[in-house]
Amino acid sequence: MGLSSLDDETAPFIVDASTVINLNGTNCAAAILGALPNRIIVMDAVIDELRMDNRSSRDDAKLLASLLADGLVSEMTIEALKDDHFEHLVLGNTADTLDDGEAAAIACAIEMQAVAVIDERKAKRICRARYPWVIIASTVDVLAHDRVVKALGDERLAEATYHALSAARMRVLPEHIDWVVNLIGAKRAVLCPSLPGHVRAAAWQKIAKT
Amino acid sequence: MTTQLDQLSAEEIGNRLRMARDAAKLKQSEVAEELEIARTTLVAIEQGQRRARMDEIRRLAKLYGTSINALLRTGAVVTDLAPQFRRQYGRQDDAAEQAARLLTELAQAEVELENLLGVKRSRNYPPERPILPGDVRTQAEHDALELRQWLGLGFNPVTDIVTLLELQLGVRVYIRKLDVRVAGLFAFDEALGACMLLNANHPRERRAQTAAHELAHFISTRRRPEILDERENLNSKEERYANSFARAFLTPSPAVKLKFKEITAGAEKLTRRHVVILAHFFGVSREAMVRRLEDLDLTRDGTWDWFATYGGITDEQAHQVLGDLPGPDKHSADAGKPTTLQLGLLAAEVSQQGLLSEGQLARLLHLDRVELRRMLDGLQIEGSEADGAVLTR
Repeated sequence: MGLSSLDDETAPFIVDASTVINLNGTNCAAAILGALPNRIIVMDAVIDELRMDNRSSRDDAKLLASLLADGLVSEMTIEALKDDHFEHLVLGNTADTLDDGEAAAIACAIEMQAVAVIDERKAKRICRARYPWVIIASTVDVLAHDRVVKALGDERLAEATYHALSAARMRVLPEHIDWVVNLIGAKRAVLCPSLPGHVRAAAWQKIAKT
Repeated sequence: MTTQLDQLSAEEIGNRLRMARDAAKLKQSEVAEELEIARTTLVAIEQGQRRARMDEIRRLAKLYGTSINALLRTGAVVTDLAPQFRRQYGRQDDAAEQAARLLTELAQAEVELENLLGVKRSRNYPPERPILPGDVRTQAEHDALELRQWLGLGFNPVTDIVTLLELQLGVRVYIRKLDVRVAGLFAFDEALGACMLLNANHPRERRAQTAAHELAHFISTRRRPEILDERENLNSKEERYANSFARAFLTPSPAVKLKFKEITAGAEKLTRRHVVILAHFFGVSREAMVRRLEDLDLTRDGTWDWFATYGGITDEQAHQVLGDLPGPDKHSADAGKPTTLQLGLLAAEVSQQGLLSEGQLARLLHLDRVELRRMLDGLQIEGSEADGAVLTR
């Protein structure tokens, strides 16, 4: 497919809560993460957040615990971070700061020269502005990773992506829209409220023509 | 070396930590034991005598079920209304405590979102009218009519008191599902302004009555928090004032007398049909309407009790008279949603402008991430510029 630029197998992936929720939404997070050669790390602040983030009867913390237990993801604590990037990212004006999980993921990515896998616009913007050398990726980059595409196959990957969009309301960056719609097809795209309205309208038109 | 944390004074950090502990309903001794520190250390931190370290703040935030960012970001609105209520009412039961907490959370979130967007809510508060010695009922009637004139209502019925409070006076009004015993709350705080919480589980006519009752407290005892609870003693001077004010505000005597004359013209008895029409016209409950007629000597004392003895005036009977005239209760329907419409719209704008991250917004609104995403999807705010038209300002 060639969309994902995550070709450095030695760089760990630091996943934020937004990404964990999307991966769990695919219904096959273990298969996706198992296909990746990179080490996957989740910060303790993200685990804490997901433990409380369960009002809509999802249980991402439980799913994450099973990924941790299976060794597909490893945990890192904020205390283990040596520099004060975390402090700089959580303290200050509201508009210039991030919540703890997002900040911890970026701080960890900085220290470990890792990839920050974050599906959140403000976190990406702040990270790009303050730490331009940090590689930032989205859940879609992970889904489009060559190893994941190969391991899942087109139809299973399409189904997984559709589930992330419909169940977890995964956000898709403008540059990833075409890849996503081509993968899942117009019939599924119209059923995804998290895709922009004009994208769903275009999918409707495509269906109407066929 | 100066750190980010040094930008906040030890007193400010201590104050915020104390409020977070209070919100988590934890005692100092419990926190000290959990964190394996001396209670005196925690006391010193909360009083600003000792500066908390980052690792301590992190452990405290975790214990309090919040984040460091939510605790210490400089734009956070750090006002808690619950202690005001506790001071006023002594140790509260869970229902009242939860309602006070909910009112705080909603108002805090709204103010922080407004501040981020540079929105200044106008406060068009009427002058206060402290309760004077003498007959409170007479004063309440006078103050209610004075406020009606001030608002330009004349003797017209108040069709939507919530909109009136919000848009004309600038009061923050929230309608959420509360314990059935709690009808409503009112509190005033310099940072948050006047705030009201009404119970969506009550019928809208009762909510209107509650809103008018809380409005009376806003007029007479503004700086004192108030809970309207069915177990409350309503015989105090303040409560008698509030009840009289509410009746006079929603059912002003000249208008009631005029309408009563019109509706009952030619009739020898007050019928259920008359009551249903009058109650609908003034937007109050059938019971409140009849009691007001008794109050104004338009019907005999005990009329409502007579109706109640003989089966009351049922919703079905009201429907036979009014049909679908009352329309749907939109406030009650809105209360079933994860947050209020106004908060949702503010949150959507803040999200669109990238002023708060998903994690910050979810925590501020007490929603989980997917709930938040669903709400934003419902408002069609995420997505590209192609999904909206540009406003000219």
